[in-house]
Amino acid sequence: MRSNKGTWLLLAPGMIWILLFLVAPLIMMVYVSFWTQTTFSIKPDLTTQSWVNFFSSDTYFGALLRTIRIWLTVLFVTLVIGYPVALFIGQFIKNKTLQTALLVTCVIPFWTSFLIRVLAWRPMLGKEGAINIILQKIGFIDAPIEVLLFTELSVIIGMVQIYVVFMVGPIAFMIGRIDESLIESARDLGASATTIFRRIILPLSMPGVIVGSIFVTVMVLGEFATASALSGRKVNLLGNIIITQVGSLKWAFAAVAGVVLTVVMATFVAIMLRIVNLRNQI
Amino acid sequence: MLEVRSISKGFAGVPAVNDISFEVSENEYITLLGSSGSGKSVLLRIIAGLLEPDAGEIILRGEDISKRSCHERRIGFVQQKYALFPHLNVFDNIAFGLRHRNNDRITDESLITRKVSEMIELVGLVGQEQKMTGQISGGQKQRVSLARTLVTSPEICLLDEPLGALDANLRERMTIELQNIRKELGISFIHVTGNEFEALAMGQKMLVMSEGNIVQQGEPQTLYTMPQDLTTAKSMHSFNIFSGDMMADYLKSGLKGKAPSAKISRASHCAVRMDKIDIDKPTAKASGLEATFLTSEFLGNKVIYFFKTNDDRICEVEDHMSLSEPKHLNPNNAYLLSWDAADMLLYDENKQLIS
Repeated sequence: MRSNKGTWLLLAPGMIWILLFLVAPLIMMVYVSFWTQTTFSIKPDLTTQSWVNFFSSDTYFGALLRTIRIWLTVLFVTLVIGYPVALFIGQFIKNKTLQTALLVTCVIPFWTSFLIRVLAWRPMLGKEGAINIILQKIGFIDAPIEVLLFTELSVIIGMVQIYVVFMVGPIAFMIGRIDESLIESARDLGASATTIFRRIILPLSMPGVIVGSIFVTVMVLGEFATASALSGRKVNLLGNIIITQVGSLKWAFAAVAGVVLTVVMATFVAIMLRIVNLRNQI
Repeated sequence: MLEVRSISKGFAGVPAVNDISFEVSENEYITLLGSSGSGKSVLLRIIAGLLEPDAGEIILRGEDISKRSCHERRIGFVQQKYALFPHLNVFDNIAFGLRHRNNDRITDESLITRKVSEMIELVGLVGQEQKMTGQISGGQKQRVSLARTLVTSPEICLLDEPLGALDANLRERMTIELQNIRKELGISFIHVTGNEFEALAMGQKMLVMSEGNIVQQGEPQTLYTMPQDLTTAKSMHSFNIFSGDMMADYLKSGLKGKAPSAKISRASHCAVRMDKIDIDKPTAKASGLEATFLTSEFLGNKVIYFFKTNDDRICEVEDHMSLSEPKHLNPNNAYLLSWDAADMLLYDENKQLIS
């Protein structure tokens, strides 16, 4: 009995916190999404009007599809860039101090504010930006590439740069934990380097990939700043929609977008956690 | 069958393995005894191809394999801490080499199943096939590790302190099983250990390593009873070794006229087996010394008595229970420790046995 009571007592702060700041707001959000919205006010009379509007409107449903497309692209690119970097740090650098130093180097951009990091891409990617000037100077192109800025591409470039480190960290951590003796055993059993990568390193680093993917997903799906700053407000993600709806006091509609985003995220996280049982691995 | 020729290896200028040569015959169990830092694991890793030697050659069946990479040597290596793949179950761990090796990879799953099942039966893991490596005991992990290596039919199997992480009971059982498994397969084992009893009990041939050198090799019994080198005697942990001034004193007092003088004058060290020493039992032909009793340790079938000599060294005396009753000695009292002059091994200044 005593231990039971003690267990509840220890759990209580966390439980109260989660109930107050996670469960209650979530329930509230779902509830508000069914409220009746008029131009200037919102009433707690339940209706599915906002939901119908959301899924019947090209603007909003299109934003959902665009959000998913950009998220999956960013996720894919961060993985393709992040994995080799993590592999290098975790497997090829044997010195632990140097490993830590390299990981710290990866987070150096985070020493400046988020907005500066995003806005710094403008003078890089613009029509008269660094990349276009350099490419023109070396004679690689005649006219500036205009697709670089204020397009979906620039949003993807910006997001990849900002979030790739969240992919590198967890993967490098998992790869760094793989005991050298496992690799040696595999070599001794006759496996070549590529086989060792496919059969040992890749499966053992999967928890890192999953954690990294969850990080990137959660952050990209909730994004609005990068999209508006680097697309010139041309690319609207669900995050941007929520911001504008809240700005014009359309709470019910913002709640619908919020619920949709949460469902997408939760589904993805659930699938990821089914693939790898993190509890066994970490 | 396997010939190690003048292998040397250093790390940052410090030699770890120094011009080592030895041979392994077909169907032979070799134990390699050495304390930690003696270079025994480095030597094993060089043979396996996990480390590159600075100099020397490794010849397997007449072919120089020194330049071949690890996965092309057909030498099995059982890691000290098993190194099982944590994401695979017992069966898949054992099948790893057959499925994924670069040369002669087996694609026929039924053949893999047959080979793995045979090996599982040989090492006694029937019924554990589907378990993950985290769900089995230390002894079982050891068997998986061994089976995983042996199923690939290596020419020779290297074991790096294979019993080191097992508890005493299991260790004894595994010593017998390892020998049986080896006999069954008819391949040679090189078993590295820091435990002298393991080395003595298991090896048909035994090598003693110290500071990167092989100080002696031969049959375990010869090495134990007649260590040609003082380091060998030390590594047996069964000898009291006297050196320096103390040694000179014994020779003057205790040994007067009992051993050929030429032999004594050349000696710088002497070694006496712990079980050859009598306590408080002066006999006509005995030589010996006085020492202060410190404490004793009762080990069931034997008692070990600890004494302090006049030059503050610890001298151990072992009494087997089948030969005598436990003695009651008073701590801090002096006792005469004596032994037969013939049981005393004398070594010259180069630590070599004077015969």
